[in-house]
Amino acid sequence: MKSFKRLAYPYIIWALLLIVAPMFIIVLYAFTVEGNGVITLRVTFNNFVRFFSDPIFFNVLVKSLKLAAITTIICILIGYPAAYMIAKLKGNNQTIMVLLITAPQLINMLVRTYAWRGILLNSEFPAEIKVYIGMIYNFLPFMILQIYTSLSKLDKSLITAANDLGCDNKKAFLKVTLPLSVPGIISGITLVFLPAVSSFFIPKLLGGGSFLLVGNLIENYFITTGDWNFGAAISLIMMVIILISMYFTRKLDYDKEAR
Amino acid sequence: MEKLIEFRNIVKKFDGQMILKGINLDIYKNEFVTLLGPSGCGKTTLLRILGGFLDQDEGSVIFNGEEISNKPAYLRPINTVFQSYALFPHLNVYENVAFGLRIKKMPNDLIEPRVNRMLELVGLDGRQKRAITQLSGGQQQRVAIARALVNEPDVLLLDEPLSALDAKLRKEMQQELKRIQKEVGITFIFVTHDQEEALTMSDKIVVMKEGNIEQIGTPTEIYNEPINRYVARFIGESNIIDGIMKKDYLVNFDEKDFECVDYDFKPNEAVDVVIRPEDIKIVKKNQGKLNGQVISVLFKGVHYEVIVETKKGASKNITLHVLEDKDEFNIEANEKMHASEFSMDIEDVETLTDGELIARANAQAWTADEEEDISITEVIHEIKNEVGKYEVTFKTEKGSSITTHVNVVNPKAITDEEENIGIQAFDVYKTVDEIKESMAISVDLKTWADAYAWDLDDESQIEIDDVRYDFEPMEIVPGDYKVTFVTEGRTYKVHTTSNQKEGSMVAIDFGPDDIHVMRKGIE
Repeated sequence: MKSFKRLAYPYIIWALLLIVAPMFIIVLYAFTVEGNGVITLRVTFNNFVRFFSDPIFFNVLVKSLKLAAITTIICILIGYPAAYMIAKLKGNNQTIMVLLITAPQLINMLVRTYAWRGILLNSEFPAEIKVYIGMIYNFLPFMILQIYTSLSKLDKSLITAANDLGCDNKKAFLKVTLPLSVPGIISGITLVFLPAVSSFFIPKLLGGGSFLLVGNLIENYFITTGDWNFGAAISLIMMVIILISMYFTRKLDYDKEAR
Repeated sequence: MEKLIEFRNIVKKFDGQMILKGINLDIYKNEFVTLLGPSGCGKTTLLRILGGFLDQDEGSVIFNGEEISNKPAYLRPINTVFQSYALFPHLNVYENVAFGLRIKKMPNDLIEPRVNRMLELVGLDGRQKRAITQLSGGQQQRVAIARALVNEPDVLLLDEPLSALDAKLRKEMQQELKRIQKEVGITFIFVTHDQEEALTMSDKIVVMKEGNIEQIGTPTEIYNEPINRYVARFIGESNIIDGIMKKDYLVNFDEKDFECVDYDFKPNEAVDVVIRPEDIKIVKKNQGKLNGQVISVLFKGVHYEVIVETKKGASKNITLHVLEDKDEFNIEANEKMHASEFSMDIEDVETLTDGELIARANAQAWTADEEEDISITEVIHEIKNEVGKYEVTFKTEKGSSITTHVNVVNPKAITDEEENIGIQAFDVYKTVDEIKESMAISVDLKTWADAYAWDLDDESQIEIDDVRYDFEPMEIVPGDYKVTFVTEGRTYKVHTTSNQKEGSMVAIDFGPDDIHVMRKGIE
């Protein structure tokens, strides 16, 4: 076993260099102002104060969360019935459907979003709707596949047992199938909500310059303005929000299982 | 007793295959009924039709005088304990049991006492809050029973519920189920392939085979009076012997007439005779019904299982010629060769090939120093379609050769008219090394001698049961040895509490009511 542990060393080095170190740098930038030297650190909370005191930034944050939440909800509403129907198909047809859903994923998300830009270019839709179309299109497969996986693992005899105990098909779904597919929904939410809340190129490409989200904000401060300290602070705030929301979704899942 | 369920001519097909071939069966109130049969006999299908999980293709199911074929499962006053238990993993023990009552929208204050009483009945009180995954197999089983019974169904269906438990737990649960059934006083329909389980628990056993009901009866009836060979085999151990019913109360088997208690057969009708092993007594020679020899004794815990042979099988002697190992050494070509003498049937001469000769003579050639195999390129012989001894020479490309003999014989099969058995085998020529190298000498002797036994009537093959020889394979020296091939004779299995010595001559005894005569079934 000991020799196998050594196989993890390359990854540990990788993680230290490319995950932990940059993270540390972001934290460092977020809590300082420009002009740090090797010896002097100008520690400050101003970056955070600035973010929360200016309503423009806060509104962008709320807008991003709203976009991600609505995208997630629509993905569940479309994805669940789709996954349910796929899980009901016969073996081979299931594989074909899963393949059909996965196949577009093989093409880069950016390329697909450019394609949508072309499609929606001359349409009369408001920028917001265009962004939603792009978001849902890109993230729906994640939701469908997660829910499908949990539904296809569901023991069919549990439905028979529910029927046996007096459930018609609707009740059997509500009392057995739905609660048992919650873990699939939860991981679907994790896979849709988190990337949606921080996505920046879909709103940029489909919403044009007018549609500003947290992701775009971070991008602007790092690339256009060059204010890395403020950009780092916004990133950090995003990260905390994501961690909190992850904690709550996980907790929901955990509670269900423990009961 | 009141009739509760009537199956009327139930037919079910899957993919054009008949699973149930017209089942007619009545089940009464408060009965513990077992559907017994091997897998694929249709017992589970019948249960699923009653539960409402499958629709029959023909026939009707009548429940309390009402046709229920079109009633969906959730409206039937029937609950099921599934083979896999099918407990809900997202609910704890209490909620699993309460499930059915919650669906009926029963108020909480009524659910609680009922669930708790049920958990007490199955011996799970105090485990209400446990997660299903924390329970052992036996406990899950009990939850499944409680979950079904709490709904106070008129019938409880149990689909092989004990098959996942280990032997000890299974025994416990058998008693437990019987107790629960008595306590709640409803009809239990139990599906199993385990005959012992069926005998222990049931009021009524339904023996099924290939979509038909073979016999319905109480455990005692099924055990003591099986209707045919199939049921007798399936329920308990038994000696089943071919016999002839001479007239009422007189049956002939093993060339002797025996009094029995059976009647109503055609004169001289061919029948199957069943004698249960525990109904046979072992007594001193000449003091019982049939004389025989004890050929094996096995201790089974409570009793000994003694096999008594009342008639020897057919046998055939052959000679095993064990030869010196003599390899031919061609020094010039640096090659060694080997071949053995053998016997063959004159009938096989016409179709004889060189390859066959090489194989049967075990002819081989190899390089003297590196022991690499060399092909035999030429076989010279003048074997004719006549009994006699012929020379055969095997040659390699470099000219090395070895000569051996082939005995063409006209084998005399031994036929035993009385036992209706033919048996034949050839003499065998082998070298000391070949004998020593054999991993399973009995099997190899059978193959080498081409030993074969058959039924004289229908030419079907009969197993050669025993190969007897009087040498120690590892210490064999060149010479001639006698080998005897023997088929199994007539043996009786006897269960007795007194030990017997293997090889001793005894007699077996049984009374007229120990003999059960059955009509020949179609097997």
